[in-house]
Amino acid sequence: MQEELKQIRHEVLAKLKQVQTLDALESLRIQYFGRNGKLTTVMKGMGKLSKAERPIVGKLANQIRAEWSEAFEQTTQELHRQQQAQQLAEESVDITLPGRKPAYGKAHPVTQTLERITSIFTQMGFQVATGPEVETDYYNFDALNTPADHPARDLHDTFYLTDGYLLRTHTSPVQIRVMERQQPPVRIIVPGKAYRVDYDVSHTPMFHQVEGLLVDTHVTFSELKGILASFVWQMFGAETQTRFRPHFFPFTEPSAEVDISCTVCVGAGCRSCGGTGWIEILGAGAVDPEVFSAVGYDAEQVTGFAFGMGVERIANLQFRIPDIRTFYENDLRFLQQF
Amino acid sequence: MNVTLNWLKTYINFALAPSELAERLTMLGIEVESIKHLGAELAGVVVGKVNAVTSHPNADKLVVCQVDVGEAAELQIVCGAPNVQEGMQAPVATIGTALPNGLTIKRAKLRGTESHGMLCSEKELGISDDAAGLMELPADFAAGTPLAEALGLDDVVMQLEITPNRADCLSLIGVAREIRADTGNPLKLPSSKGLSYGERIPTSVTIDAPEFCPRYAARVIQGIQVGPSPEWLQRRLKSVGVGVINNIVDVTNFVLMEYGQPLHAFDYHKLAENRIVVRRAAEGELLTTLDEIERELTSDMLVIADAEKPVALAGIMGGYDSEITAETRDVLLESAYFNPASVRATSKALGIHTEASYRFERGTDPGAVIAALERAAHLITELAGGTICEGVVDVYPGETPLCQIQLRPARVNFILGTAMEATEMVEILTRLGFHVAPADADTYQVTVPTFRADVTREIDLIEELARVYGYDNIPTTLPKGDIPIPEPDVKTEVRQRVKRFLLASGMMEAVNYSFCAPSCFDKIRMHEKDARREAVQLRNPLSPEMSLLRTTLLPSLLENAQHNHNHQIDTIALFEMSTVFLVEETSGDSPDREVSPTGVGEPERVAGILAGHVGGGMYKNPYRAPDFFDIKGIVEGMLEVCGVTDYTLARTDEPTFHPGRNAAVLLSDERVGIFGEAHPAVLENYDLPYKAYLFEFDLGALSAVATFSKRFEPISIYPKVQRDLAIVLDADIPADKPLALIYATGGELVESARLFDVYVGEPVPAGKKSLAYTIAYHSATETLTDKAVNRLHERVVARLNRELGAELRM
Repeated sequence: MQEELKQIRHEVLAKLKQVQTLDALESLRIQYFGRNGKLTTVMKGMGKLSKAERPIVGKLANQIRAEWSEAFEQTTQELHRQQQAQQLAEESVDITLPGRKPAYGKAHPVTQTLERITSIFTQMGFQVATGPEVETDYYNFDALNTPADHPARDLHDTFYLTDGYLLRTHTSPVQIRVMERQQPPVRIIVPGKAYRVDYDVSHTPMFHQVEGLLVDTHVTFSELKGILASFVWQMFGAETQTRFRPHFFPFTEPSAEVDISCTVCVGAGCRSCGGTGWIEILGAGAVDPEVFSAVGYDAEQVTGFAFGMGVERIANLQFRIPDIRTFYENDLRFLQQF
Repeated sequence: MNVTLNWLKTYINFALAPSELAERLTMLGIEVESIKHLGAELAGVVVGKVNAVTSHPNADKLVVCQVDVGEAAELQIVCGAPNVQEGMQAPVATIGTALPNGLTIKRAKLRGTESHGMLCSEKELGISDDAAGLMELPADFAAGTPLAEALGLDDVVMQLEITPNRADCLSLIGVAREIRADTGNPLKLPSSKGLSYGERIPTSVTIDAPEFCPRYAARVIQGIQVGPSPEWLQRRLKSVGVGVINNIVDVTNFVLMEYGQPLHAFDYHKLAENRIVVRRAAEGELLTTLDEIERELTSDMLVIADAEKPVALAGIMGGYDSEITAETRDVLLESAYFNPASVRATSKALGIHTEASYRFERGTDPGAVIAALERAAHLITELAGGTICEGVVDVYPGETPLCQIQLRPARVNFILGTAMEATEMVEILTRLGFHVAPADADTYQVTVPTFRADVTREIDLIEELARVYGYDNIPTTLPKGDIPIPEPDVKTEVRQRVKRFLLASGMMEAVNYSFCAPSCFDKIRMHEKDARREAVQLRNPLSPEMSLLRTTLLPSLLENAQHNHNHQIDTIALFEMSTVFLVEETSGDSPDREVSPTGVGEPERVAGILAGHVGGGMYKNPYRAPDFFDIKGIVEGMLEVCGVTDYTLARTDEPTFHPGRNAAVLLSDERVGIFGEAHPAVLENYDLPYKAYLFEFDLGALSAVATFSKRFEPISIYPKVQRDLAIVLDADIPADKPLALIYATGGELVESARLFDVYVGEPVPAGKKSLAYTIAYHSATETLTDKAVNRLHERVVARLNRELGAELRM
């Protein structure tokens, strides 16, 4: 019987080496160690053995089982590994096939720019204010110290409506509306649409502006410089220079135009900046006392500054679109780019 | 306005390179828009003396010239100009010269004969349009001299942007004053001293409308000879872009540029009774202006008249009949100050804009009237002969005392944030031409010169100080005041959430003009009686297609779809957020409309369009056509991000939409928006070959009901049990009915019920449909047993059967 067991042991270990698959391995286990397996069958004869022989055979059988068990476990793992490797190899994909990209939209380049400008100022404590786009002569011009016969009105080609109203030519009327209903301190930013009769590669009849206004008991021109320099720094980067140049607006005094060093040539002078190295980005100034008196503020008690910028112009410093009317065609090949 | 450096230097000395001067002027507020070196285009062109002309061996129309260009050897140049002749002097473009017309001169063989340069016409040099022949140069020009130098063209022209407040800078002297403010160098003004006068000639000036004409001065000059101006005067005027006419007109234009004072010369003998009456025109009075157009005048317009009739439109344009001609011998020279608003109104009403009106309507210097008149009279006698008659007529009914302003140096520094010394302020203002005297310890009394009518207040002086002190020298600081507390702003939050959601849903943001065409309402089949057809009209639209203000965003988006389809882009998913403009509050689709103070409602809308394909059109991500449920899903998500759940849907009869595929979203019976499939006729109107799905919502109405407050709900630790349920019921029962019953029956024990299939057709009987749900049952407090779930599920089935006649589908 011991011989028989040794024979089984020899056989099964030899067969184990030939096993290629997990299924074959399982068959082999059943063939030898299953309920009716060879080892089980042999061991059924244990009862016929002598008392002395029994422990020896039992021990031998246990040895074989232990040996088998270990080898079985090893082979299982090995086969499992092989099988997985094969499966992985079969599952390989062409990684250059297109991804299933979820559709995602993009904000319009002008509103992206508008929101960025607005967010820079809100972080500096300015509150967003809005106002109507259909306006009156009073809010659009008169209250902003631009009476009817003022030559500055020539600079605004105004859309008039049939009932005597107009489309605001700038976002500045909101200054007046806010100051009329609120006492200082006022610290607002006004993003919005404005309209002028103009239609060429650098003008659209509707455009966007961001207006700012700060009024308090002692606001200085130097603080206007500070706020706008901070804005330029955040919007255009630390390397961009700011220049304040005297200018004229009816509703600010002193007034300034603000230039930044050309984003194309970095100040050296190129076609984009007309060779000057500077690009005008906004108009600003201390609030004119006439504007304060229009809203019932005492110009001896409060001072302030205001500024306004064209969003398309600022957007285009980055995007460099040759014809800004392209902004409003809403061609998806265009919108996808931003 | 254009100035040249050489001309400026006749009024003030300065040692600044053109670019430096441009920088200084720009930083003073006179922006230099361009700098043009006049001679630059003529580099390489020299004076040539044609010493010999021989015929060309191979061409009848060409000649061979030997030209002296100041070098040892003469140049052989082949020329075809008709006026070429021996001994003449003409410009020679030497080898390598790039002419203004783009031609570069090379050594060439013309019909076999070598040519070493080119003899040029004025046109070829860009000097004038004269191409008839060679430009003939005076004999006293030395051969070889650069042409620019010989012609005195070695000048620099600067184009200045003068802001509307600085009428004083619309003149060379005005700009020179700015240079004085910057450099401190003295002005050199033209002197009229030493003029001799002839006999007194009878003339008079009457001002009948002093409100329009505060000052009018005149002089008579006798015995002049009208003719061309000398070369120096022509050059001056041409260099700043002023046309040349004759010596008299050229002098008035020269003085206009010099002083900024428009002048007018009348033929003295064409003035009835030889006198001037400044008056309002009679209503309907006619005047033929210099441009030979007969103008009908109104009583708001100021004319210069003689004893009988208008002879000029005051400050704008002279009359044709009293114009200076070659025969004119005696002239009456006008120098006046007209009311800016009056000139502006007349110029605008008649559509005439001249150099004179441009200056008068911005405000000329009433103090320069006489100086300019004397200067012009002097120049005329110098250039056209004649004698100045004794006596200047100067009628000045509008003379006002000089403006006095109290200046507080402390206030200057308070406004600017500077620490300027009072002495520096005095110095700056004095250099600008103001007279400054101490008033008391803290105040100065500043007297404003007549040429600075724009300065009337202390703040105007502060601006003057700031710009001359230098904006660059003002410190850069940060505001110190309190930051106001913002009010809660639900609308901005709603706008941002909706926008983020729509972008995440794959929709691109569009921005359209606020304008629309009158036809757009028909194109979207809007009801005849829809209040949105009453759009606000523009009085001066760019085009009929842009003549109304939008009352709905849908036409713009349909046009965008059309544009894209026309450009072969058919994956169309666009949205727009914008105000629309409503004349009256009658459309009733917005409970929370913001009413503009102008009476025009400006509610904010969000609208979208899906058309063509959705998907990537690629392997694993094929195109498919969008359908009603795509747009509905977007709408549902949009409402969800606003925290709006309590809404109902109702079919509408809006003709824009497919009658069976649209829904209004109602919040307590108030419509906040609409969505659905565009009506086929609408698609046809926009030439879209496929279906389009639209939505439009009122952001104000959404904001009114939006809620962002959330509370944590415990997450059950007990497993859920899922059961599928397929029922067959009448086809016309809406799908939300059984769903509501499932929730109502299961109560808290129904975690979710998902409709996963709708089926119509065999074997489901006709008139019926099958709906299949997966119901997830769970409890927050225990593990549900199979038995409990089965009991509950049976109750659901029984209720669906009882209330809707739904049968379990086997």
